[in-house]
Amino acid sequence: MNRIIRKLLNNTASLIGLLLLLVFILIAVFAPYLAPPLFPDPYQIPRMSWDVEPQPPGFPMSDDMRFVYESLGKPITRDKAIFGTAQGGYDIFYGLIWGTRTAFRIGIITVTLSMLIGVILGSLSAYFGGWLDELLMRITDIFLSIPFLVAAMVLTTILGRGLDKVMIALVAFGWMGYARVIRGSILSTKEEVYVMAAKALGVKDFRIIAFHLLPNTIFPVLVQASMNIGSMVVTAAALSFLGVGAPLGYADWGQMVSFARNWIIGSPGKAGEYWYAVFFPGIFIVLFVLSWNLVGDTLRDILDPRLRGEL
Amino acid sequence: MENKNRDKVLEVKNLKTYFFTEDGIVKAVDGVDFEVYQGETLGLVGESGCGKSVTAFSILKLLDYPGKTVEGQILFKEDDLLKKSEEQMRKIRGKEIAMIFQEPMTSLNPVFTIGFQIAESLKVHYKMSNLEARKKVIELLEKVGIPIPEQRVDEYPHQLSGGMRQRAMIAMALACDPVLLIADEPTTSLDVTIQAQILELMKTLLKQFNSSLIMITHDLGVIAEIADRIAVMYAGKIVEYTDTRSIFFSPLHPYTFGLLTSIPRLDMEMEKLESIPGVVPDPLHFPEGCKFHPRCGFATERCRKEEPSLLEIENGHIVRCWQVDRVREEAKKIAFTRRLAVVE
Amino acid sequence: MLSYIIRRLLILPLILLGVTFLIFCLFSLLSPMERLATYVNNPSVLKNPQAAQRLIDKYHLDDPFPAGYIHWLKSLLKLDLGWSATANQPVWEAIMQRLPATMELVLYSIIPVILVGIWLGVISAVHHNDLLDQTIRVTAIIGWSLPTFIFGLLILFIFYGILGWLPPGRLSTWAQYIVYTSESFKHFTHFITIDALLNGRLDIFWDALKHLIAPIITLSYISWAYLLRITRSSMLETLRKDYIRTARAKGVDEKTVIYQHARKNALIPVVTVAGMMIIGMLGGVVITETVFTYPGLGFWAASSAQQLDYGSVIGFALLFAFIMVIGNLIVDISYALIDPRVRLE
Ligand SMILES: Nc1ncnc2c1ncn2[C@@H]1O[C@H](COP(=O)(O)OP(=O)(O)OP(=O)(O)O)[C@@H](O)[C@H]1O
Ligand code: SF4
Ligand SMILES: [Mg+2]
Repeated sequence: MNRIIRKLLNNTASLIGLLLLLVFILIAVFAPYLAPPLFPDPYQIPRMSWDVEPQPPGFPMSDDMRFVYESLGKPITRDKAIFGTAQGGYDIFYGLIWGTRTAFRIGIITVTLSMLIGVILGSLSAYFGGWLDELLMRITDIFLSIPFLVAAMVLTTILGRGLDKVMIALVAFGWMGYARVIRGSILSTKEEVYVMAAKALGVKDFRIIAFHLLPNTIFPVLVQASMNIGSMVVTAAALSFLGVGAPLGYADWGQMVSFARNWIIGSPGKAGEYWYAVFFPGIFIVLFVLSWNLVGDTLRDILDPRLRGEL
Repeated sequence: MENKNRDKVLEVKNLKTYFFTEDGIVKAVDGVDFEVYQGETLGLVGESGCGKSVTAFSILKLLDYPGKTVEGQILFKEDDLLKKSEEQMRKIRGKEIAMIFQEPMTSLNPVFTIGFQIAESLKVHYKMSNLEARKKVIELLEKVGIPIPEQRVDEYPHQLSGGMRQRAMIAMALACDPVLLIADEPTTSLDVTIQAQILELMKTLLKQFNSSLIMITHDLGVIAEIADRIAVMYAGKIVEYTDTRSIFFSPLHPYTFGLLTSIPRLDMEMEKLESIPGVVPDPLHFPEGCKFHPRCGFATERCRKEEPSLLEIENGHIVRCWQVDRVREEAKKIAFTRRLAVVE
Repeated sequence: MLSYIIRRLLILPLILLGVTFLIFCLFSLLSPMERLATYVNNPSVLKNPQAAQRLIDKYHLDDPFPAGYIHWLKSLLKLDLGWSATANQPVWEAIMQRLPATMELVLYSIIPVILVGIWLGVISAVHHNDLLDQTIRVTAIIGWSLPTFIFGLLILFIFYGILGWLPPGRLSTWAQYIVYTSESFKHFTHFITIDALLNGRLDIFWDALKHLIAPIITLSYISWAYLLRITRSSMLETLRKDYIRTARAKGVDEKTVIYQHARKNALIPVVTVAGMMIIGMLGGVVITETVFTYPGLGFWAASSAQQLDYGSVIGFALLFAFIMVIGNLIVDISYALIDPRVRLE
C-alpha cells in the first residue's frame, strides 16, 4: 500500500491528477464560503437578472433581483457574476461551485452503488457457478445490450427529471462492468489453496466470499471504480445537457453547458461573443474527468505491472 | 588441441553486454571470450540468469530494449559483427548464423502456418518463389522427422505438439544451411523422451550439414552427449573453459564441480542429489571478490576480496578460481564411475 | 468454430427476447394512461375516460405481467411501436425516415476510427517513447477526458462560430430545397453524399460533406483515442514476444517484422475493441446529433425525451439495442475468424 502511494506521488501525471482532485475537494467543501447561497436550497442557482441572453464576466446583479434576494433575508455578499451569466441570468460561477458538490455526489453515490450491486452479483455468480452463474451472466449481457447513454436517457425520461432519477438510471445500467470483473477474478482465485482450505474447514460460503475472496479481488474493481467516477459524472452531465437530467436552475455542470448550447455560435458579426458561457463549465467538467482518469490510470499501471510504462 | 588446426568460425573476445535499466546497470555478460571451430559443438552451460541467452542474442545483435553491447569483438569468419550495419546483419541472420530458441511454444508466430514461417528465410535469403520454397520446406520437414510433411506445412503452430514445434524450429534454422547454429536450450521445455529424440536429431543433422553449433543449456547431462568443448558461465563471466572430457573428469572450478554433482541421473541409484547451495546472485548487486564465494565450499578470505582472473591451468584448460589445487584434490576423491557413465 | 457460431446464433433470439423484456420492464414503470399516450395520435382522446379505458383494454395495457408482455411483443412484431408526437408520424415510420441520416454519419465515422486509431497506434508503438509517441499519447488521454458534448460544442464554436466553415444541420437551405422538393433529384440510397454523386451534383455532395465533417469528428474522436491506446499497448506487448525475435533471427527486415509479424498478432485483440468502439458510437449519436442539430435518430430521440414522448424513446432504445446485439455478434464472430487458434478449434 505504501509502495502504491509512493508510486502515485512519483508519477507526474498522477500528481497532477491528485492535485486537481484536491482542488475540487476544497471547492466542494468551501462552497458555502466561495459562493454563499441566496435561496433556502443552496443548489438553486441565483439569477443575476432576467436577461435571456448570457452576460459577460463581471456582470452586476440587477436592482430588481437584489430586491428579490433581500426579501428572502440572505445577505448579498457577491453582487457580480465573475464568470458571467448563462442564458436566463443564472450566475455561472455559483453554478460551477455548487455543481462541484453535485458532481462528487453523483460520482461517489452512483459508483459506490453500482460497485456494490456488481460485486454482489459477480461474486454470487462466480462462487456458486452453475445455473445461477449462467442466469446472472445472461442478465448482465442483456443490460449491456443497450448503449449506456441511451439506457440512462430512457430511464430518466420515464422516471422524470431530477438528480435522484438520474442517479437511479446510472446505477441501474452501470453495475455490469463490476460484476464481470469481480466474477473473473474470483473464478481465478476460487481454486487457490487457502480458499479450498477454508471450504474444507467448513467455513460458511458467505464468510468465504466476504473474508477470503473479496479482499483478494477487490483491487482491480477499485481501479475501475476510480476511472468510472469521471464517466458517471460526464454521463449525468450529458443527460442534463440533453434536457432530461437535473431540473431547471439546479447547480449542475451539464445544465450550465446546456444553457450555453444555443449561444455558442454568437450573434452575426460577433462570433464567439458568449465564449464564457461554455468555456467555464467546460473547463470544470474536463478537469474533473481528467483528474480521475489520471489517478485511475496510474493506479492501474501500478497494479498491473504488465502495462507499466504504457499510456 | 586438434581444434587449433581447424578454421575458427566464431571468436568472441571480451564481450560485455549490459542492460541499462531504471534500477541500475545489469551486467548480464561481462567480459566473455570463447571460440567456435568449423564443425564442432561448443557447450555454453550455467544456471538460469547467468547470461547465456544474452550472449547468444549479442552475437546476432538481437538484444532487448535496454540492452547494449558496450565492449568486445565478435569475429565471425574474421569480420567483427559489432561493426556491421543492421542491413549487413540481416544478411547474416538466418543465412550464416541461425538460432533455435528456448521456447518452441512462444517462438513460433501463432498466426502464420509453419510452412510460411520456414519458407520465409528461404524467400528472404535466396529470393525463392513460393512454389520452390514450399518444396524445400516439405523436404526440410521430412528431414527433421515430421510425419506427413505435405499436410503439416499448412498447419499452425498450435496444431503441433511441443516436440513437433521444436522440430519445425530446427527446420527453420537449418533452411539456409547456416555455418553456425545457436541452440538456446532447445530441449528444456520438452519432456525427457522427446528431449532425447531432439538431441539425437540434432546430432545427425549437424553431421549432415557440417555446421558448427553453440549449444546453450543449464543441464550438463544434455551437453555431455553433444558438445566437443564446454564453457561454464557464472554471473556473466566464464569460469571454466575446456574440452568436454576434462569438464567431466577433472573439473577445476567449484561451480562446475557443483553442477556435476547435481546432474539428475536416471540410470543410477543416487545416494543424494546435491544441488549447489544458495541462489544465483542478484545481477544488480553482485558480491565483491569472486562472485561465486557466497555459495562456494572452498571460499577463503582472499576469494571474498579479490576476483580471480581466467588462467590457463593446464593445456587448454582455463579456469577462474583461486583454489584450483584444492578443487582438483576433491574431484579426485569423488568416485569417477559416476561421471564416467555420464560421458560414455 | 462452426459450433461456436451456431451456438452464438442460437443464443441470439434469447438475448433479443431478453432485451425486449428489459425494455418492456422500463415501459411498465409508466402508468397505463401514460403508456396509452404513446399509442394515440390525438391527445384529446385521453381526456375522455371511457374512450381511454377502451383503448387501454384494446392495447392490453392493464393486463397482468405475462399477457401484457406478450401483447406488447405481438405489436412489436407488427412494427406497431406507437405514435411519435415529436415527429407527428408513427414511431416506426419516424425511425425509418431518420435511419439513413444516422447510418450515413455512423458509417463515415468508422473510417477515422479504424484509420487514425489503428494507424497512429502502430506508429506510436514503433516510435516507443519518442517525442512523436509522447505527443500522440498526451493528445489521446486529453481527448479521452473530453466529454462528447463539450468537444462537439468546441468544434461548433471554432469551425462554425468563428471560422464559418462547418455549419450544423445536414444540408444548407438551398440544397435542402433541391434534395427534398426537386423532382429531378433521385434518391437511391438516402445517403445524401452518395445520392448527390449519383445525381452528378457535386455542389450538393460538397455541401453534405461539409455538414458531416464536424459530427463525424465529434462522434469518433473518443473511439479513436481509445483504440489508439489499445493498439499501442497491444503492439508494444507483441513486439516483445519471442516470435518477433525469431522473425528477426531469420533475417527478416524490420518493416516486415513490424507490419506483418507483429501487426497481425497485435490487431487480433484490437478487432474486438474496434468493434466495441464502433458499437459504442451508437450512444454518442444522441449527443452528437443534438449538438449539431443533425436530423437523425439521435436528435429525434433527444427531442422526444425532452417532450416526454415515451413511445419514441422506447422505439429508439429498442432499435439501438437490436443493432448493438447484432453488432456484438458480428464482432465476436469476426474475432474468431481472424485468430487461427480459435478458428481451427
Ligand atoms: N531485457 C532485459 N532487461 C534487463 N535485464 C535483462 C534483460 N534480459 C536479460 N536480463 C538480465 O540478464 C541476465 C542474463 O539473462 P539470460 O537471459 O542471458 O539468462 P540465461 O542464462 O539465458 O538464463 P535461462 O536459463 O533462464 O534462459 C539476467 O540476470 C537478466 O536479469
Ligand atoms: S575463487 Fe574462491 S570463491 Fe571463487 S570459486 Fe574459487 S574457491 Fe570458490
Ligand atoms: Mg536463456
